[in-house]
Amino acid sequence: MTEPTQLHLLRPGQKATITRIGGATALRRRFAEMGIVKGETILIERHAPLGDPVEYFIKGYHLALRKEEAAQIEVLLHGGDSHA
Amino acid sequence: MTATPSHEIFRLDYGSKFEREIARIMAAFEEIKFDTGRYPKRWLAIKLLEGDADILARVQSMPNGEQIIGAAQRSMEHLKSMLGDDVDMLTADHRYGFINGVVRQTLQRPLVDRLTLTDQIDNIVTHKWLGLPIFFAVMYIIFRLVIDVSSPFLDWTDSIVTGPISNWFSALLDLLLAPSWIHSLIVDGIVAGVGGVLVFVPGLLILYFFLALLEDSGYMSRAAFVMDRFMRIVGLHGKSFIPMILGFGCAVPAIYATRTIASHRDRLLTALLVPLMSCSARLPVYVVFGLAFFGSRAGTVIWAMYALGILVAMLAGMVFTRTILKPDVTSAFVLELPPYRQPALKSVLIHMWENTREFVRKAGTVILASSIIMWILLNLPWGVTDQQNSYFGKFSSSISPIFAPLGFDNWETGGALVTGFMAKEIVVSTMSQIYLGGEEAEITEPTTIAEDLVGIGQGFVEAAVQSGKILLDILPGVHLVGEARDSEDTALSLALRDHFTPLSAAALLVFVLLYVPCVATLGAIKQEFGTSWAVTSAVYQTVVAWIAALIVYQGGRLLGLG
Repeated sequence: MTEPTQLHLLRPGQKATITRIGGATALRRRFAEMGIVKGETILIERHAPLGDPVEYFIKGYHLALRKEEAAQIEVLLHGGDSHA
Repeated sequence: MTATPSHEIFRLDYGSKFEREIARIMAAFEEIKFDTGRYPKRWLAIKLLEGDADILARVQSMPNGEQIIGAAQRSMEHLKSMLGDDVDMLTADHRYGFINGVVRQTLQRPLVDRLTLTDQIDNIVTHKWLGLPIFFAVMYIIFRLVIDVSSPFLDWTDSIVTGPISNWFSALLDLLLAPSWIHSLIVDGIVAGVGGVLVFVPGLLILYFFLALLEDSGYMSRAAFVMDRFMRIVGLHGKSFIPMILGFGCAVPAIYATRTIASHRDRLLTALLVPLMSCSARLPVYVVFGLAFFGSRAGTVIWAMYALGILVAMLAGMVFTRTILKPDVTSAFVLELPPYRQPALKSVLIHMWENTREFVRKAGTVILASSIIMWILLNLPWGVTDQQNSYFGKFSSSISPIFAPLGFDNWETGGALVTGFMAKEIVVSTMSQIYLGGEEAEITEPTTIAEDLVGIGQGFVEAAVQSGKILLDILPGVHLVGEARDSEDTALSLALRDHFTPLSAAALLVFVLLYVPCVATLGAIKQEFGTSWAVTSAVYQTVVAWIAALIVYQGGRLLGLG
């Protein structure tokens, strides 16, 4: 439960806290612009019909990321399934 | 909530280590006597520490800029080694930390996550199984609406230009005792040329109306979400999808629409593939040939053209992705899915109007110019009677052998394709000028202006009723429009049947679909990506077009269709 994991490995309905952001500088800057920063809570919403990209809920808005990019985001899964 | 004192300047504290470096750079401004110009000093110091590329370039060109950048670079390295992250990431963290604090103090969210209307809609339109069918259904309905519903209005516009307007000009010129060559230039060259363009206006208005609806409602980004995986097979981005759809209207705005794509490589590839989406200017070519050669199956043939354009774009995308445009790190997919909104009618109408106006303006210059040049080339040397002996005819004859393996090596077709480079829809107007231009117009009953105006009004009402019927006809189970369309043979389709077989007509349509983008499109590519990419675009499409038309014609002959 306390092991950090990668964002793209989570299932819809799960909630997690961002612990680390990797990847190239340009990508990390883009993430920061969109509010994807350390400490933020992110909810996995749904996969696109073809499995990729994935829709997330963060900072009160909806955002889609490809798995490839989401893999750069390290998260800590919240205990159990979300209570939402 | 207390009133905020407005006289106090707000300043976000970035932490002691960071603040020390900011102070150091601001001191350096004084020391080196660097004039920050219109930029606030603290703001500029932070931007330099963040390494903002745009600001660095500007400062570089300012007096003593190099020295300041040097100082900022040292501070930046220092901060990075002390705090363990890039400076711009640190500033982002601080800003978001502050924002979160403000939000926590001022905003109360309902505890239960409410399933909003947006979520409910997204549960359906991005559903695992329903998402793609819904997407394709939306595209199909828009396509049908644009093509079918606009067609009565298209006929109406056409009948006004070729009827009353041409007659009014003729009457006016007769009154002014204009010489016959001026009469011919204005009526056969200018009015016919401009008329050929105005005919698209009804269809374009409807197309842009629906594109604006999609965009303003928020569905466009869902389409990008749903389609991204698919677009990636071709090496594109989900957002490339929007310019591609616009390409069905006109490639010029579509190429400018690629500006929404962040990665240069993705943008360029999108722009190279957009002209393969069959634009509305190519539609009249399909319609004229479709009705002349394929009768009741014309609709299928037109559909096949659109599908072929998409197929070739997919193949070309795969080839480019593996050769000259390999994916790079900049092609990240970070897409916001905004809440659905009811589109504001005013914004939709403005969108519709501006895009259509752009097309008409292009028509007013490029197409008008080309119509006049065409008329001149057709009528020189002075006194030429047979068009084949005109400059235009001679040039067209000289290139027509290139088209022999494709099944259409007559000079008229060569000429029409050459003029199609100016704008694709001119292919039809050139053919009608060449095939019919010389003939005496049928004698019509002289009408008064009042009668003409009444006729125009009645025509509009009839067109509206007809398109309303077609609109309802799209609904399953409703059939208001008779199956057999009154496919009365126009003079042009009779003339075309003398020069083409159904097979060579099909090869010609394939060629027109794929060959060199029009002048305006190449101009847009040149402006956005440079001359060499515009040349690349022109060459690769023409080669692909020739090969594809060859396959259709020779393949068809082998199958015994010719």
